[in-house]
Amino acid sequence: MKGITIKFGDVVANNNVDFDLLKGEVHGLLGENGAGKTTLMSILYGLYQPNAGEIIVKGEKTTIKSPNDAMELGIAMVHQHFLLTPPHSVTENIIVGLKSRGLFLDLASAEKKILYLAEKYGLKIDPKATIADLAVGEQQRVEIIKALYRDIDILILDEPTSMLTPQEEKALFATLQSMVKQGLSIIFITHKLHEVMEASNRVTVLRGGKVVGTVKTSDSSESELAKMMVGRSIIESVEPKASAKNPAILQLKNVSALNNAKVKFLKDLSLELRKGEILGIAGVDGNGQAELAEVIAGLRKVQSGEIIMDNTAITNAAPRKIREWGLAYVPQDRLNTGLILDYSIAENLILDRWYKDEYSGKIFLKQEKMKEFAEKVVTDFEVKTPGINVPVNSLSGGNLQKVLMARELARNPKVLVVHNPTRGLDIGATEYIHKQLVKQRDNGVGVLMISLDLDEILTVCDRLAVIYEGKIVSVMDRRDANVDDIGLMMGGKVAVASEGKK
Amino acid sequence: MSVLDVVTQTRNKLRDVKFFVPFASASLAFVVGAIILGATGVDVGKAYTIMFEGAFGSAFGFGDVLLKTTSLLLTGLAVSVAFRCKQWNIGAEGQLYMGALGGTLVGISVVGLIPGLAIFLGIILSFIFGAVFALVPAVLKVKFGVNEVISTVLLNFVAFLFISFLLHGPIKAPGFNPYSPEIGNASQMPIIFPGTRLHAGIIVAALATVGVYYLWKTKIGFEIKSVGANIKAARYAGMNITKSVLVTLAISGGLAGIAGGMLVSGVQHVLIEGISPGYGFIAVIIALLGRQHPIGVAIVAFFFSVLMTGSETMYRSLGVPSAFSMTLQALVLVFVLVGQLFVVWLGKRKVGGAR
Repeated sequence: MKGITIKFGDVVANNNVDFDLLKGEVHGLLGENGAGKTTLMSILYGLYQPNAGEIIVKGEKTTIKSPNDAMELGIAMVHQHFLLTPPHSVTENIIVGLKSRGLFLDLASAEKKILYLAEKYGLKIDPKATIADLAVGEQQRVEIIKALYRDIDILILDEPTSMLTPQEEKALFATLQSMVKQGLSIIFITHKLHEVMEASNRVTVLRGGKVVGTVKTSDSSESELAKMMVGRSIIESVEPKASAKNPAILQLKNVSALNNAKVKFLKDLSLELRKGEILGIAGVDGNGQAELAEVIAGLRKVQSGEIIMDNTAITNAAPRKIREWGLAYVPQDRLNTGLILDYSIAENLILDRWYKDEYSGKIFLKQEKMKEFAEKVVTDFEVKTPGINVPVNSLSGGNLQKVLMARELARNPKVLVVHNPTRGLDIGATEYIHKQLVKQRDNGVGVLMISLDLDEILTVCDRLAVIYEGKIVSVMDRRDANVDDIGLMMGGKVAVASEGKK
Repeated sequence: MSVLDVVTQTRNKLRDVKFFVPFASASLAFVVGAIILGATGVDVGKAYTIMFEGAFGSAFGFGDVLLKTTSLLLTGLAVSVAFRCKQWNIGAEGQLYMGALGGTLVGISVVGLIPGLAIFLGIILSFIFGAVFALVPAVLKVKFGVNEVISTVLLNFVAFLFISFLLHGPIKAPGFNPYSPEIGNASQMPIIFPGTRLHAGIIVAALATVGVYYLWKTKIGFEIKSVGANIKAARYAGMNITKSVLVTLAISGGLAGIAGGMLVSGVQHVLIEGISPGYGFIAVIIALLGRQHPIGVAIVAFFFSVLMTGSETMYRSLGVPSAFSMTLQALVLVFVLVGQLFVVWLGKRKVGGAR
């Protein structure tokens, strides 16, 4: 790809980008969110047309107008979010969209080919299994086989590890190696440094839509790549504090609750959060994290068990009451739950306190007070915005999260629950949020940090707990934490993990 | 140039388009209307001239425009209050009829009262009748999860038939027609421009417009519009969804009720079966086109009443069927909605790539 430029309106998403992929290599495409990685690959896959530049595949200049064109050239892409039909079998999902001869699908020969491919690349899969029954890692294998099935030479993987456990991640990297050995070329989009180091032969780093450089992985280092990626070094780890002597501020005792599908999803979960600590909840997505946060906030009914905050039972109390008793909560869905996107900063900031005398008289809201509060937040939290009256949907993700954090912290909470607080944020914003959390901890607030990003938990938390299938399977101090064990526990292998310790 | 600048610039451009598109769309609707008129053999130029003259050519005509605006504005506000809370109240027509009943009951029972008080009482009772009738679907929704679209639509017929029943029996005035007795003089809205049918109700409608504008700046208004803007966020922030739904529909039904009460006190002076030509239904269109903003609703209500009044003149002078008025209203709706989609599409094209 040479001189690729693409604009969306006035925004230049890719600016004169040169990118080359050699046969038989894993090429990492590294950059922060919004650096233009996915856009560049979407151009290669025919989803977008560039405004300028050319694409040369196997020595020939081509235009790729659609994913079909891309397939014909032997290019396939596995998206971050899988495009599979859950009730259908693996085979059906793989052959979907392909032309077949005759009236009936030839599932038997398709299965044969799938098994052959699985064997060849070390991708264990049962062609007859139903997608809905498969773990995330297995679903990803299906997506990869789906691509291989179409006889491709170039495979694009968009953030392939975002949903995987450390073990699944390792298995994926092994697969990548076996694929390049067979002559495939792979482009691996990620923003995680260690993945690039582990899995790629060369790396191209993008920043703000431009190429910062392409280097051989073996000639580089994590810190060098990090500098290229963000223009400065990576997040520093926070020194953990011992909290063993601190009194408990939030206790969950054998709490059970249903998920949205009315299935019992939290199973006798018990947990204790102490004053002045950050307790991290690690786990693979969908093991009860959202449900856990919601039962604490009073947004989900507790079936049995008890939740106590600062000696007050808050089980199944109204959300407003729980907040008044001292909870602040930053939900993971900041766009649709934490904030109202059509509202201004000022309006979003009083969303939880509009009824208080401070912000409203008998009938009318106090516009002046709202304005004051908003201006204070914008200054104190360094929110980048054209003004306090613009709808927050014109703010970037990091600034949105600052507004949300500001509102929650202004409650002077006893307990702060944050769920994936830095997901999708760039390093600057992430560091800022982390600092705020640490400041709360140092002020004696109990901070419960639920995060899918294990690195984040290991960077910030004082203690951490692992959640698996609606239960806390282990709690430990961060000093004693061992990534491999945590990985195993996140994948449900508690026994193996404890054996490993002996 | 920073990302923020880009965002603001794009937004500004969009605002311009947003302003321009609805007018262009409405004009296109008139063009298509002209084609339809032409196809039926009517002189299009003459027809539109007569339509315009009917609405603006005489004091009486313009008085009628404002008279219809009164009803359309109140019902339009009623529906838009509900829509702002994402409560799809399609029952404004029924609530209007119940309000008309409330106003009538006051009018025929407090004959001896001083005029101002009698009118005031009439308005209050028509509000209450409309509000209570709208609370039926509200309670059904919060207690049993009954979809308000269906319940409000169906309750319209309950209202029509209930009024019909009353007019054929319990409150029927002596005589042949199914009319209620005439309301007392004290309860009749004064005409504010001699030689027209325009009564003081337009002032009530104007006050209601201001009221709705300020409603969104009140405590309860903020809660209601937050529930409408994002129910998840509202619940998370500790807002009371049940209360919001109930209050919203009560206000909505009440406003429609006032529209009904004033059709009796200002125009007919008796309650009759077909007292509204479907104001409560047109109100849905008005609320959509006016984007649920009181000023937008006022503009659209005025525009639609020009259309309705002008079409009546067209019918009288040229024999163009009155259905053409509805055709034109529908065309305006379709074109303006498509125009809005067009704006959204433009917005996606411009902003979508920014991430």
